[in-house]
Amino acid sequence: MRRVAITGMGAICALGHDAAATWAAMCAGRSAIGPISNIPTELLNIKVAAEVRGFDPLAHFDSRRLVLLDRVSQFALIAAREAVAQSGLDFGSDMRGERTACIIGTGIGGENSHNEQSSRFYGDKNPRLHPLTIVRVMANAPACHLGMEFGLTGPSFAVVSACASANHAMAQAFEMVRSGKVDFAVTGGTEACITVPTIKAWEAMRVTADDTCRPFCKQRRGMVLGEGAGVFVFEEYEHALARGATILAEFAGAGMSADAGDIVLPSETGAAKALSAALADAGLNKDDVGYINAHGTGTPANDPTESKAIRRVFGAHAGALCVSSTKSMHGHALGAAGAIELVAAIGALRDGIIPPTANFIDVDPECDLDYVPNVAREKPVRAALSNSFAFGGLNAVVAITRAS
Amino acid sequence: MSSVQETIFAIISKEAGIDPGKISLDSTLKDLEIQSLEAVQIIFEIEDHYKITLPDRDPNFDTESVRGLVEAVERLLAEQSSGAAAPSPQA
Repeated sequence: MRRVAITGMGAICALGHDAAATWAAMCAGRSAIGPISNIPTELLNIKVAAEVRGFDPLAHFDSRRLVLLDRVSQFALIAAREAVAQSGLDFGSDMRGERTACIIGTGIGGENSHNEQSSRFYGDKNPRLHPLTIVRVMANAPACHLGMEFGLTGPSFAVVSACASANHAMAQAFEMVRSGKVDFAVTGGTEACITVPTIKAWEAMRVTADDTCRPFCKQRRGMVLGEGAGVFVFEEYEHALARGATILAEFAGAGMSADAGDIVLPSETGAAKALSAALADAGLNKDDVGYINAHGTGTPANDPTESKAIRRVFGAHAGALCVSSTKSMHGHALGAAGAIELVAAIGALRDGIIPPTANFIDVDPECDLDYVPNVAREKPVRAALSNSFAFGGLNAVVAITRAS
Repeated sequence: MSSVQETIFAIISKEAGIDPGKISLDSTLKDLEIQSLEAVQIIFEIEDHYKITLPDRDPNFDTESVRGLVEAVERLLAEQSSGAAAPSPQA
């Protein structure tokens, strides 16, 4: 079986506009959750989010290009440019583009454009909608724009599974490289859905916090929305070695499952099944794993269920694991979550630093693991898992190991 | 039975698919085996019916009784008629 190297990484989120800034903020335990500043808030009860701030699209795209790009595609392109540049790969030469998959997850797609045009139609009673609405809104647009920018002509599509979209997308890209269907993949997740109606819809579900995100804490009041993208370059391992590329980590395996139970309430057994499957797929023993980047949304239902699932799978070793939720810092970026969180898992392997769970006060007695409260910790890690558990009961766990 | 109580019983009955005769002021949503997603739908229907906004965690629908819900709604309606309530987005 072929192995898969990660040779490029890019990110943009509330913590920073590139992967290095994002990782530095995670290590500092800095939460980027704050008052919403990009949209009007007078109709909102929940007035906090983890927005990408200080972002000027014109610094990245000329106006003729920009008219094609919803914010969700802009984020994906910015993260992809960073990842591809880091990989050092030129997809335009040696027919590489033909042997490259491009698989990008998103939970919602072009929500900002959808909202703008709906507002024009229903609010302004203007029946004339922008001719590029469809191509901006479609959920596969981010994957298409990446393909066009880098000339990727292999399998390309979007993966949609709400909060697990990025992990499902990367799992699919990994399978393609491992099986030999392609030699490279550009993959990850992107999301940009902080609009007034979206927040109102979250408010109606009563799962969002009005203060901040405190995963695993007694005082937690729910999740906080985030946005951004994470994109990676996957490459057949021997190819990466042969060209002397810097291997950030090995993408070692993925485990997926569906609860087939409740549309919102998570299942301990469903999550445990995905965790076990990821370990088996990666050929890892329980005690190889040093860090789990938790799904850790900060909702009443997720945190105890996820903790119990980890304990069920890891048994006695669960107590030795570091388990943190970086959503406490970059918010819940839904379809981008798993990709932004892979930056944390890769950082833990490379630098031997476990990013903390920020905003931590008192641990919930229902949650009994080491959540690395507030302050990053030095600890050498050989293998890490990253969890994503979506509404609809769709679970995807990815496993990475230190480059050998 | 007050009209608010009657309306709330009817909404609970419809949203959760339970016989209105089984609902009493003392029953909790847990007693009635109402799941969290049904509970938020009940809250939404009540808010939409009366054009009010119930606070996020008060009353606590998981542990408190239907009485708590009825009283919270009656309190909000009283505040609204006395002009003390903040304008809601629907207004």
